[in-house]
Amino acid sequence: MTTAVGPPDTVTEERTAPRRLPFWVNQRLGLLLLVVALSVLFGVLRPAFLDQRLVLFPLLRDISTLTVVALAQMVALSVGHMNLAVGRMAAFGALFAGLGYDRLGVPMQVGLLVCLAAGAAVGALTGWLIARTGVSSFVVTLAMDFALLGLVSLLYSALTDDAAFTTHPSGIDALRSYSLADICAGPICGSPAVPQIAQFTVLAMLGLGFLYGSTRIGRELLLTGANPAAAELSGIPTGRRVVLAHTLSGLLAALAGFMAAAGTGTFRASIGDDFMLPSFLGAVLGGTLLTGGVVSVLGTLLGTALVGVIRKGLDLLGVGLESLNIYLGCVLLLALSADRIRAVVSYRKVVRST
Amino acid sequence: MRFPTRSVLPAVVAVVLLSAGTTACTYRNSGSQSAGSASSAARTGGGADLVDGSGTKVALVPGGAHPYFQPWKTAGATAKKTYDLGAVAFDETAEWDQQKQNNLLSTLAARGYNAFGVFGVSPTDINSTFADLRSQGFPVASLGSCPAGDKDEADFCLSTDVRLAAYKAAKAAIAAMGGHGVLVHLTGNNVDANTQLRIKGVGRAVRETGGKVKLLQTITDIDTDLQTAQKAVSDLMAAKGEQITGIVATAYNPAVAAADVVKSSGSKAKVVAIDDDAKILSGIRQSTVTATVVQNPVGQAEIGTWALALLQTKQCSVRDPGVRVDSGSFVVDMANVSAYDTARQAKTAQLKQQFADEILNCG
Repeated sequence: MTTAVGPPDTVTEERTAPRRLPFWVNQRLGLLLLVVALSVLFGVLRPAFLDQRLVLFPLLRDISTLTVVALAQMVALSVGHMNLAVGRMAAFGALFAGLGYDRLGVPMQVGLLVCLAAGAAVGALTGWLIARTGVSSFVVTLAMDFALLGLVSLLYSALTDDAAFTTHPSGIDALRSYSLADICAGPICGSPAVPQIAQFTVLAMLGLGFLYGSTRIGRELLLTGANPAAAELSGIPTGRRVVLAHTLSGLLAALAGFMAAAGTGTFRASIGDDFMLPSFLGAVLGGTLLTGGVVSVLGTLLGTALVGVIRKGLDLLGVGLESLNIYLGCVLLLALSADRIRAVVSYRKVVRST
Repeated sequence: MRFPTRSVLPAVVAVVLLSAGTTACTYRNSGSQSAGSASSAARTGGGADLVDGSGTKVALVPGGAHPYFQPWKTAGATAKKTYDLGAVAFDETAEWDQQKQNNLLSTLAARGYNAFGVFGVSPTDINSTFADLRSQGFPVASLGSCPAGDKDEADFCLSTDVRLAAYKAAKAAIAAMGGHGVLVHLTGNNVDANTQLRIKGVGRAVRETGGKVKLLQTITDIDTDLQTAQKAVSDLMAAKGEQITGIVATAYNPAVAAADVVKSSGSKAKVVAIDDDAKILSGIRQSTVTATVVQNPVGQAEIGTWALALLQTKQCSVRDPGVRVDSGSFVVDMANVSAYDTARQAKTAQLKQQFADEILNCG
């Protein structure tokens, strides 16, 4: 689902139906075909690629976590900002969940709530700083990244012996290892390839899809990203929308941190170290504009899946470290180039229509 | 400013949905998955001499690319030839990310590898990974680093005792300083359990001097690459070089950087490094580096591969699963710089004997 800013709802008489592009031009369809084609290709080259337990389950678990990371970035991009601290916000949120489990013995759900609240709070602070000072989101989130890097490391060193909270609350191991195969209706069970942790990704996608596709706030967020001056003149409280976007970004980053911790076993400071690049890659590949105003929730999932499939396929083919990164780097370059071309095409379309 | 009700509402709804999701959807009503597909070869006897390793495919998986692991590659290839194994792979594409390493291990299992020697990226997380692999019937060795805490879910851990190695290095530095002075500790990632052990090892050696040696600073997070380490050591020497009389480096890149910087700056600080990079050995020969603590990565890979093959073929089992074995660390100085590899080879041979006699139970 791609959502972009459109004309105001009140202007109906003179509005002409926007000319729809042919379905085969749809970027999501292109991505979907690419993911399927690559999966088939890798499946033919290495039949083990289709092993549900050893390949598809960990692949989908990875995609689930990284999609949430990319959604966190997508929300910031929707208002024309970026969140360079997405990884540290994940670590920050996870720190509070780990602290709750280790020191207070709280149930898993309570720890998750604390984690999300911490992520949302640090995201809100970031958004408030940007909105109040007018300093670029690049600078503020970069500063926040450094600040959280130090703070999280310091707190883990002070609070733990092994720089990690190793307490496993009841249910977290199940989150890591259960799949739909563990849910049966009589003799029929789900697929062992689909991890149960993917529920968070689905919920996050549904929530954001609803926000951007069906609510006024969602449209205001996009208009704030597309043209802040026009949004301000239209009566949209752009400052609050910026704060909201960064709050949601922090919340989703913290959720990704929780998922990463559940996926590997403990809550530790290094969670989120490698989140920043995949966060942009998934969102931009999926059709979200770096300049704001256009987001794609489904595209973000597909963009993340594309990267995951390529990496898993290359792993199965036994590609070495250097070549692996060359291929992944090429994908990033292609994505950014495609984004630029799309921006130019969109601009020309707007000029023609006016 | 009014309270932003409309802004907060979606976030609250999202939080409630997400937390409700964990309650509602983590569910299991089927029996546990069947165990995996490790070779069912019967015990064939022959004690600890591997009878037939042709069906054994061992994967040696470091946490990521690092010079320390390069000997694993050659030692693994040698072990494959020596024991006539089906395959030995060395795969360093985990990129120091535990989730990537977990994915890599499952991918290698899908490619047919059936025994794993792993340097876990996160010592606090790796037990979960080991438990997963073992639940699927694969023998697992924790090589080069043991899981944090007392519990070890691998069949065995063959690693340098990092705390002891750091203690030995600090003792060597203090001895070179004449038993008094100002010491600096250079090490790796602060939020790594092994770094914390190294810090404790150095701290113990300093405490034993009864205040004669002052630990000026412990500089962490400079093992990412050589450039970072060189900058940190150069800055340190520029700021406090006058007071520093000893440097102990317990990570690879800081050790090489310290050897370089002390040599180029003409500092009189006594440097005790770790590992046997050519620059460090050259520094020892030229007396710019006092000593180095050498580890035994060759022995880890060679003995680890051999023992994993014995476990995978069911020819042997581990008497005390999760046992931790020190692969050895050696202080190398001017006196033994030319001959230390003999001691390391002797340690490897002794490790093999120890595994055959004490660690493994062979039919």
